[in-house]
Amino acid sequence: MTIDVTATADTAVAPDAFRANRVPVGSPAYNQIAEFLYEEAWLLDEIRLAEWVERLDTNLRYTCPVRQTRPLSQNAASIVRTVMHFDETYASIRGRVGRITDTRSAWAEDPPSRTRRLITNILVESTDNPDEFEVKSYLLCSRSRFEETNLLFLSCVRHDLLRRHGASFKLARREIIVDQTVLGFPNLAIFL
Amino acid sequence: MLDRTRTTLSDGTTIDDLINVQTREVQLRAISDPELYDIEMRKVFGKTWLLLGHESEIPNSGDFITRLMGSDPVLITRQKDGSIRVMLNVCPHRGMRVCTSDAGNAKVHTCIYHGWAFKNDGDFIGAPVAAEQMHGTILPKEKLGLTQARTHLYGGLIFATWNLDGPSFDEFLGEMKWYYDMLFQRTDRGLEVLGPPQRFTIKANWKTACEQSAADGFHTLTLHRWLGEFAKFGDGDLTTSMYGTEVSSLQGHALRCMPAANKFKQAAGFRDGNLTLEEKLAIVPPPGITKEMLPQLIRNLTPEQLGLLVDSPPQVGGMFPNVLIAFIYVPQPDGEIIGLTSLHTYIPKGPDELEFCNFILAEKDAPEEHKQKALQFAVRMLGTSGMVEQDDSDTWPHITQTAKGAAARNITMKYQAVCTTPPRADWPGPALVYEGFTKDDTQWNWWLAYRDLMNSSL
Repeated sequence: MTIDVTATADTAVAPDAFRANRVPVGSPAYNQIAEFLYEEAWLLDEIRLAEWVERLDTNLRYTCPVRQTRPLSQNAASIVRTVMHFDETYASIRGRVGRITDTRSAWAEDPPSRTRRLITNILVESTDNPDEFEVKSYLLCSRSRFEETNLLFLSCVRHDLLRRHGASFKLARREIIVDQTVLGFPNLAIFL
Repeated sequence: MLDRTRTTLSDGTTIDDLINVQTREVQLRAISDPELYDIEMRKVFGKTWLLLGHESEIPNSGDFITRLMGSDPVLITRQKDGSIRVMLNVCPHRGMRVCTSDAGNAKVHTCIYHGWAFKNDGDFIGAPVAAEQMHGTILPKEKLGLTQARTHLYGGLIFATWNLDGPSFDEFLGEMKWYYDMLFQRTDRGLEVLGPPQRFTIKANWKTACEQSAADGFHTLTLHRWLGEFAKFGDGDLTTSMYGTEVSSLQGHALRCMPAANKFKQAAGFRDGNLTLEEKLAIVPPPGITKEMLPQLIRNLTPEQLGLLVDSPPQVGGMFPNVLIAFIYVPQPDGEIIGLTSLHTYIPKGPDELEFCNFILAEKDAPEEHKQKALQFAVRMLGTSGMVEQDDSDTWPHITQTAKGAAARNITMKYQAVCTTPPRADWPGPALVYEGFTKDDTQWNWWLAYRDLMNSSL
């Protein structure tokens, strides 16, 4: 058996090293994008969900594939895009947010989790469309509920497509590649 | 059947002390007692039939998946002759897990520890350096294969048990099979999974989720109240849809049949008796069924089953010990009604933790577009991020923890809402039938089945 040592877990994403379209770390466009992601994390941690929705493109595709344990030689198969944990559009995300903001009984997040979304390892690529950027970021999300002293953690990489909108951006696509085959969270009643 | 004994905990408490048959109460302690958990692993998960997956997950010869039967890892393989085997995924040499992948295809499974190799039917092939006989000569090679479970396919669902001489699968389903057949045996080619299961962890004892699965209707009114507030199910009043018929058996199985006329304006005319079966089917097809598939229903079900499936389909319930069954409707604003099919297994991972394993299925013969819609709505309503089921995920851990309190462990969970309405004279099906508003009888039967197994001498 031959093993392709250059294979990434996700064959849908080209190897990142030496990509020609890299937007340099620290450049103005990079900084704007990093700021957008930091603000997004802040809005979600503060449960300012209506403001978060305003930053979503109406063509949003928001997904979170299931992961499986597979041998290194079949690493691409570790990402499953049939049954997923999230399989969302702009309308369905608005529905999820509305359930939380417009009812008195969205118990999964009432009382809410205390969350901290730590965003790192942001890498940006320009695309054929000057107003669109492909953005990769790592997210470590900690979650505390009730008096539980052990934080729950979920780590993932997010593959985003950001679209310029005035002075800022809108999120047009997000694929969340989680690291766990069995999630340690009791639900995904929060957004990643 | 099972011989009865008095299972007694180390402090002298018996199962019958914990489950009071006269007053229909269960001591809260029964939820997460570690001593009980060990007995459950042997007497419940070591002995009953357990749902592990669906044959559509392993369509080709050599395909395999790995799953858990209670606390035991198992390897499930498709044989050359098309049959399916379930075997302990534990090396008979030194106890290492033989197959370490979740899924794949292999003719031979070789343990990475010392290299013992097994055919995909579990037979021992040999160990490295054959001449030196790592496996010795004391036991013949035939005794060194992977331990085989007893396997049964039902509507393509893979069930297995370690109880090699126990009840057959049909005996295990008992009279409830008549109702399950309406869901799992209703079409020519049956169901298929739409992908591997979602899996996630809830810090709760398995029983909290499983006794709820035995058709707990009352919790819908408060825990899932948003369905009325936001999604406007039942025009905002969920109580209407709690009227129906619950069916169950002393094996602990349960289903809730919900009259279509209570749920859908389109089906309001179902009550007056002027519509033919075909007309009703055209108005509100059973969840997951398209109009084109109706002839299959007529072929595969008796007229009584079909009549019930149309007027008052089983929509939620469970299969003892740890399966939730959901065949539910999601009405759309434009009048379309999307049917979702999902099965959960709640896998015990210690007294205080369960793994929620969510299978999303559809009829094989449903059009691709229909399957994709059903899949998206299943993800949005059920499982990991499901807007309905995410609200369950705090209650079960809280109960698991409260059950440990010095005072709380001695209070009881009460199943005293008893159905007193006699079954309708024209009710077409068998088993225990509870007519009217949802009550506690089906969940109580779950505990009686649990008590029976826990008291068995096996």
